[in-house]
Amino acid sequence: MDHLLPAEIVAAANAFPQALAACGDLDALLRLKGAYVGREGSHAAGLMDLLKAAPKEQKRDLGAAINGLKQQWEEGLKARQVELEDAKKRLAALATGWDPTLPPPVPAQGALHPLNRLMDRLVDVFRPLGFHVEEGPEVETEAHNFDGLNIPEDHPAKASSDTFYLAAHPELLLRTHTSPVQVRTLLRVAPELATRGGIRFLAPGRVYRKDEIDPTHSPMFHQVEGMLVGRGIGMQHLKGTLEYALRALFGPHTEIRLRPSYFPFVEPGCEVDVSCPLCAAKGCRVCKGSGWVEILGAGLIHPNVLAYAGIDPAEWSGWAFGMGVERMAMMLSQTPDLRLFFENDQRFLKVMGGLD
Amino acid sequence: MLLERQALAQEIPAAAGLETRELCELFAALGFPVDGVARREGTEVLDVDITANRGDAMSHRGLAREVAAKLRQPLTPIPALPTPEGPAVVEVRLDSPACPIYSTAVLELGSGATPQQVQAFLLALEATPKRLPAVDASNELLHRYGHPTHAFDADRIQGAVSIRWAKAGETLVTLDGVTRTLTSQDLVIADAGGAIALAGVMGGDGTKVTESTRRVLLESAWFDPKTVRATARRHSLHTDASHRFGRGADPAMARVARDLLVGRLQAWCGAKLLGAWTVGGLPPVGAPVTLTESLLSRIAGEPMPLPDAAEALRRLGCEVAVEGDRLVAQAPRWRHDLAIPEDLAEEVLRLKGYEGISSVLPPLEGPPEPLSAAYLQRQRLSRRLAHLGFHQTVTYGFISPEMDAAFVDPANPAEGRTLANPLGQEYSVMRGSLLPSLRAAAEQNLRQGGREVRLFELAPTHASGPQGPVERFMLGVVWGGTLGGDDYLSPARGVREADLSGIARTLGWSGTPTVRVLGEGLFGFELPVADLPQAGDRIIPSFRPFSRFPAVERDLSLLVDLACSHEVLHRAMAAALPAECLQDLRCVDVFRHKSLPEGRQAWLMRMRFQADRTLVGDEVDGWVAAALAAAESLGARLRA
Repeated sequence: MDHLLPAEIVAAANAFPQALAACGDLDALLRLKGAYVGREGSHAAGLMDLLKAAPKEQKRDLGAAINGLKQQWEEGLKARQVELEDAKKRLAALATGWDPTLPPPVPAQGALHPLNRLMDRLVDVFRPLGFHVEEGPEVETEAHNFDGLNIPEDHPAKASSDTFYLAAHPELLLRTHTSPVQVRTLLRVAPELATRGGIRFLAPGRVYRKDEIDPTHSPMFHQVEGMLVGRGIGMQHLKGTLEYALRALFGPHTEIRLRPSYFPFVEPGCEVDVSCPLCAAKGCRVCKGSGWVEILGAGLIHPNVLAYAGIDPAEWSGWAFGMGVERMAMMLSQTPDLRLFFENDQRFLKVMGGLD
Repeated sequence: MLLERQALAQEIPAAAGLETRELCELFAALGFPVDGVARREGTEVLDVDITANRGDAMSHRGLAREVAAKLRQPLTPIPALPTPEGPAVVEVRLDSPACPIYSTAVLELGSGATPQQVQAFLLALEATPKRLPAVDASNELLHRYGHPTHAFDADRIQGAVSIRWAKAGETLVTLDGVTRTLTSQDLVIADAGGAIALAGVMGGDGTKVTESTRRVLLESAWFDPKTVRATARRHSLHTDASHRFGRGADPAMARVARDLLVGRLQAWCGAKLLGAWTVGGLPPVGAPVTLTESLLSRIAGEPMPLPDAAEALRRLGCEVAVEGDRLVAQAPRWRHDLAIPEDLAEEVLRLKGYEGISSVLPPLEGPPEPLSAAYLQRQRLSRRLAHLGFHQTVTYGFISPEMDAAFVDPANPAEGRTLANPLGQEYSVMRGSLLPSLRAAAEQNLRQGGREVRLFELAPTHASGPQGPVERFMLGVVWGGTLGGDDYLSPARGVREADLSGIARTLGWSGTPTVRVLGEGLFGFELPVADLPQAGDRIIPSFRPFSRFPAVERDLSLLVDLACSHEVLHRAMAAALPAECLQDLRCVDVFRHKSLPEGRQAWLMRMRFQADRTLVGDEVDGWVAAALAAAESLGARLRA
């Protein structure tokens, strides 16, 4: 449309960017603004006069060209104004010794360990259902670690090839699972079980097994144990609780699957699979294409375990589960090597642990 | 356990029609997850995971029984022609109750080899065919029917055979060539010359079948599971046989397996039967188990009619009678795991399928318990430290005695905390302090190029006690490397001891903690978690009134003798000031320069006063003068 515009306007339009850049302060910018888009005597005002006088058939095209120019000028002026104002502020700030264009200093940020973070999360998930946390010592008695859990006298796990024993105290060992916390807790609450109406708790903690250190084994690892004792507790309650918890953990569309299995301290026993949280059960490397990931072992508390603690299995029943924290952490994060969790490299901890 | 598909289909024809995937799902639903599927010897082999309680399922027949029960399909009858029994060819005595039945036979071997398809079957199961029919047949029967048998070279047996407890110190060279020294708890097969086999575990080298063997004595017995488990464990000798006898084999299979073995040797190499006989008899069956309808329904979470339950148990081989509100079941001889009512309930539920279990949240019976104060305290401490820039670590609870000795209290000897069977010396002592592990982690971080390292751990330490190690939860903190200098506000400097004291104070520790020097520019401290402040009982502390009148600040720039400690100066100045009005007194700047008099430094001491009235200048001037006088009494003077 330039052919419709007078030559001096075209020249002014071409000179605009340079003139804008040349404005060193807000006063200069105001003068330029007056010259281009001021109410009177400006290029814009001149163009409006031109438009009024133009023949009817040219008005549309000419109007569009004029609007385009005016908009270009106004936007340019505004942007330059912001720039100049910022520069003015910055100069003022610099006079006080502070340059606001520098990135802000960020306070040093540490991190929780990913294993602790995962255990905390599990506690958070079970809290609304009335579970609290029970803890027990890492050095345990054979009675708490094995006998109270219906583990037979000659069970292979008791062998010194599997379990660490104390040299000066042959009856003491490093607990091989968090299950002795069950035994301790049940023994403690047995006399008051009727008044309390039952008990439900989680037992997170460190456990030890005599495994050589390699990418998938560690002689120390973490478990989270869960237990509920009440009246008339059956498999449906185990399934209901785990479904709630695993959905809270992995998302509302999570499905769970119980498969028969065997642990001496439960009957019936089961393995629990969860629909693969990494591929939404479509099949991936983690679930080996099956859509399911084994997540924990569980079952109804064996009557011998209740009876050992002095609880009448005819009146009381319950369920228990146990899960490996490292296994779950490795699965969720796809960490290739278990040893990373115990090396404590800050680069690993910062990324994996973070802080909620 | 490895399972060959065609052999499974021979036991349960219905399995032939299943896709591999369907079969895997079927096994998983029955409690036998499949760990892998491989193709070997032109056939498909499944690696089936069998739990320790199910010795009966450790064979093709055993798993076929499970499939048959689940699918309500018939099993192929075992093709065993009963071998006619006669008088003993060799005297066999049962001298221990751990072997109640011993079926045997003596055969003269002819010529002939192990059939190709049997060799292929064994190869598919990763077993090596020995091309000796007696050995291969025994091996094949074990995998097919789950009953371990053995063949001795009859001509190498001297005199009568006895199944007896070993004599303590008696030796036996087992098939693997190892000389075993036996104990009186080991059950052996013995001849006049001594032990010739470890019962249910492994045969002896001296009586093994070789290519020159002419006559074989077959053994098909039943051994007490506990005895076999103990012997296998004692000699670290875990064999296919010990796995099956140790978990409980079927005593009724003793004769059947013998018959099958005889039949195979006759067919494969024209063996001639010289005599077959059985010593002893079947052990008594276990007591019947009673399951009430109410227990079954409670476990299943839904009403379960007893007739349905009885039908399911019958499919598994139980003899069941329903009597009113309960059923009484006699488990088959191959099931050693059905001892209590819950076991029966599990079987009913297992055959029905766990997928049918409903999903119900258990009702809350009583008020929930709060989280313990100790647990919450550790949660708060770890969050607080993470916000202060520290990284939580997890390190092993056991360390080397050398590492342990570096920081541990001398009153805490390592002996009471030492493991009898550690993985290695470097993991042999339950640590008495967290600092050695934290130091190692910190040094590793610095070696890896970390400019600054801030770590902490919350974990138990152990102290030796007469009753065993006593556990104490500790907080360990380490800090080292270069602090600051990574932004334009703070110049770089090395981490100092005082930085750690500051952290301890921030966490509420009153006083100065013992800060240990862990290395160059690396410091740490360790505190008992129980001695750190816990959240009080009150949700919000009691109100303490505060002044709404303006505060007044005054600075005193003092030249102080280098020998004068801050603590002494601070105490003297504070004592000279009115405690009710003094809000704060602290050193806010330190100046050391050669322009200052020799042996002196300059401290800028800032005082902050506030009262329930407007403070007057003269009054404050008087206090400042008193503070100055107190400082001067310690040799300080006002800096010009």
